[in-house]
Amino acid sequence: MAETTLNDDAGAENAEATAARPTNVLIVGVGGQGVIMVSKVMATLAQRAGFEVKQSEVHGMAKRGGGVFSHVRFGHKVFSPTIPRGEVDVLLALEWAEGLRWLNHLNRSRGTFIADVKRIVPPFACRNRADGAPLGYSRETPKDVLSRVRTGYALNASGMAERLGNPRVANTILLGVLSTALDFPEEEWLAVIEQFVPPKTVEVNLRAFGEGRDWVARHGEVGPDEEVDFSPPAGLETPPRRPRVFIERAWCKSCDICVKMCPERCLELDEAHIARMRAPERCTGCRLCEYLCPDFAIRVLRLPQDASEEEASA
Amino acid sequence: MNERPAPEKLPRDGSFDIRDWLRLELMPHFMCPGCGHGIALRALLWALDELRVNKDDLAVVSGIGCSGRTAAYIDANTFHVTHGRPLAFATGLKLARPDLTVVVISGDGDSLAIGGNHFLHACRRNLDMTLILLNNEIYGMTGGQVSPTTTAERFTTTTPFGNNEPVFDACEVAQAAGATFVGREATLQTPNLKDLLKDAIAHHGFSVVEVISDCTEIYGRKNDLGNSPEMILAQKREMRPEAYRNTVDTPFRPNPFNTGVLARRDRPEYLDVYRARTEALRRQGGGK
Ligand SMILES: Cc1ncc(C[n+]2csc(CCOP(=O)(O)OP(=O)(O)O)c2C)c(N)n1
Ligand code: SF4
Ligand code: SF4
Ligand code: SF4
Ligand SMILES: [Mg+2]
Repeated sequence: MAETTLNDDAGAENAEATAARPTNVLIVGVGGQGVIMVSKVMATLAQRAGFEVKQSEVHGMAKRGGGVFSHVRFGHKVFSPTIPRGEVDVLLALEWAEGLRWLNHLNRSRGTFIADVKRIVPPFACRNRADGAPLGYSRETPKDVLSRVRTGYALNASGMAERLGNPRVANTILLGVLSTALDFPEEEWLAVIEQFVPPKTVEVNLRAFGEGRDWVARHGEVGPDEEVDFSPPAGLETPPRRPRVFIERAWCKSCDICVKMCPERCLELDEAHIARMRAPERCTGCRLCEYLCPDFAIRVLRLPQDASEEEASA
Repeated sequence: MNERPAPEKLPRDGSFDIRDWLRLELMPHFMCPGCGHGIALRALLWALDELRVNKDDLAVVSGIGCSGRTAAYIDANTFHVTHGRPLAFATGLKLARPDLTVVVISGDGDSLAIGGNHFLHACRRNLDMTLILLNNEIYGMTGGQVSPTTTAERFTTTTPFGNNEPVFDACEVAQAAGATFVGREATLQTPNLKDLLKDAIAHHGFSVVEVISDCTEIYGRKNDLGNSPEMILAQKREMRPEAYRNTVDTPFRPNPFNTGVLARRDRPEYLDVYRARTEALRRQGGGK
């Protein structure tokens, strides 16, 4: 095929430009979900079809559940390995909030949004360490998001994978969905997936891929999976516990460790240089003061909010 | 006994309560303000509590030193024995009562200087017990003499111009001598230390856990290491978690220490070998 350069032939500019433009797939998720595996499948598939492929990935704080993303670009000629903002053709999110975070990279007129509604709450969503404090995690539901994209799929791939007996095949289910948005033969997908998954899991992965395709067939273009329960992520609704710090004055030796180590600066030494609680409302019940007091003078109890002292000791 | 007031009676919330494991009538304990040994003792009792070790099935043996003295506060069978010999005592105890969980609390002076010989041979024998080595780099109890782990250039009463002896790395010595479980943790990381001690106690064979502990009152003062909070925070600069091995090229300071499980090996346990041998001999009808 002849190589096409932009503005080569003014008359056929539109069609030529379209043909010259690479296809851009952005895969996002959090560490450990398999973002890299998915992007390797995508890149290999495109390569086998004879395209030039560029892939670049950022692992970030992947080991700690931080964000991971991978750009895969393929076409007759690909210059930059990164996709410009607003030029993503398919955004594939293995985690819900990561999908939302990258939404502005999706092309509004031709882009497709595919997301697992699985929610992994990152540590930084905990803006206040107190028990029962609201999380900073996105509260947008699939309905809110799907109304803002041209083509969108939000499915409970993780739940489907669990039902298949292997929670790790969620990303293969999403590959099944992705395969309906791109123009490669199904056998090619299956061959590449087989190449990248552990030999013992080939069968379940191939079934997972089929489930993803079936899901699209069942649900058409848009629409959240009816089975999705989108109540707030776990952790939001746990009944708050009231931390209480007890200080055994006779045991305290005024070493100041608890005062300096309390992350919320709740404690102080009183006139007699004995530890004292000065800001109970800031205490999160983290127990650091209890752990680090060399004299066992501090006891932190996390009692149910409404339990009276007598009830708690019973 | 003594006139100390009984501690306040507290409600329960299901979390570990150290009072369940203390001889309350002896509290408050003797240690100086900020001494790391107290935190190490908490971690040990917490580990035993989580392992659901029965107090009657537990024997804690300790040597002489501030480290060894901590055992006196444990509400279980405790033996406070000769300086440097807790491992020798514990070896006899375990051979006589293999059903007991045997834990030895010792110091750097106790186990690496005067008791160095027993330390090597306990590692070599691989009898199922646990040594907790509270390393504060000094002879705390006797007023601050140099120990085999005192950092270079540091001041002690016996190195008034700075220490010029090289140090022992207790964990490397233990591995070389054959210990089958070796780990290290600092008191700053109390929950990690508790978990490490749980693994060590559950390990079948001889296990060594070195605890980086602060002698605030003597070593800290003599070397201007700051007050208690400053000393314990300084541990953070020095530790290198084993999980990140090879990911940090330059140590954070001249004297870094690795933390976590440093070695775990499979080697026949002493009593298992002993039993198999006596059994074989019995079947043969006696030895030569
Ligand atoms: C046989 C014998 N030699 C010497 C002493 C004196 N002594 C008591 S404790 C101690 C050193 C303890 O140092 P270490 O084991 O590091 O414990 P620490 O007090 O630092 O916790 C010495 C030398 C003794 N009690 N018995
Ligand atoms: S539990 Fe202790 S350290 Fe934690 S916030 Fe409360 S007072 Fe501070
Ligand atoms: S850490 Fe313990 S001994 Fe030190 S000041 Fe606080 S309560 Fe007192
Ligand atoms: S002398 Fe040092 S090791 Fe001994 S109790 Fe005091 S601070 Fe702790
Ligand atoms: Mg010592």
